[in-house]
Amino acid sequence: MKLAEIVDRLALEVRAGANQVAEREVTGGYACDLLSYVMARAKEGNLWLTVQGHPNIVAVASLVNLAGIVVTEGARIEPATVEKADQEGVPLLATPLTSYQLAGRLYDLGVK
Amino acid sequence: MRELSLHILDALQNSLEAGATVVELVVDEDLPADRLTITVRDNGRGMDAATLARATDPFFTTRQTRRVGLGIPLFKAAAEHCNGDFAITSEPGKGTTLTATFQHSHLDRAPLGDMAGTLLSFILGATCDVHYVHRRATGAGETGEDNGPEVQEFEFDTREIKAELGDVSLSHPAVREWLQKLLAEGEAGLSAVG
Repeated sequence: MKLAEIVDRLALEVRAGANQVAEREVTGGYACDLLSYVMARAKEGNLWLTVQGHPNIVAVASLVNLAGIVVTEGARIEPATVEKADQEGVPLLATPLTSYQLAGRLYDLGVK
Repeated sequence: MRELSLHILDALQNSLEAGATVVELVVDEDLPADRLTITVRDNGRGMDAATLARATDPFFTTRQTRRVGLGIPLFKAAAEHCNGDFAITSEPGKGTTLTATFQHSHLDRAPLGDMAGTLLSFILGATCDVHYVHRRATGAGETGEDNGPEVQEFEFDTREIKAELGDVSLSHPAVREWLQKLLAEGEAGLSAVG
């Protein structure tokens, strides 16, 4: 499923990497706040759900080649994170939902 | 990381890659002050000011195989997330010192983890010597008495061990087994205190 469709259907706010949203294909999802876990276990093309807002998340997403990052629960995203995500072309999205709630909705959309 | 020992192992490996011949690792648990301080000091080639300034940037790495380096950035984020600090000082040709502090009781502070296992695997795989000190200060003494916090310490130095072993290698099966026991008992002796 295209990231743009997910953004649209789940009303995610696009905070950075907007020009990448239309093209990215989401192959699955991964939810975790331990960056070392995400580095080791998330798969290329996954959409990553986390409450972390530190610039390190952009480095992890770019390392694993994730489809994008959703910062959940309206957690604070540092300005440097937004800037870095734009530079690196990593879609950075935001939602007030918890990771649990958003994962459930993604599952319902068929992202498994 | 689920355990701080993984960050420590990563820092030790950085020192090794910097050509250090001696690495000093100090784990200082100061319970009265509620601080945990981890210091890794090496005598490797060090970094110039420009490299040092970028050492905590995840989009900086000296590695040629990929362009992202997260070892130091993750260690720094872990410390800062636990009400702590992270600092690196370095001098080209002299060495590098990394210091990470944590609020000891912080809920999100990962446990130290398997220090004995981490040290053993590093010591057996590394070409450099390791001086390790694990210090733990517990509650201050009874009020009115002239005694400060009780301090327990486990210290270990591969140079001393090698001097005693002479020609026998650290990786000799019998030595390895003895080292494993020494490290495990040294660490366990400390945990019994707190």
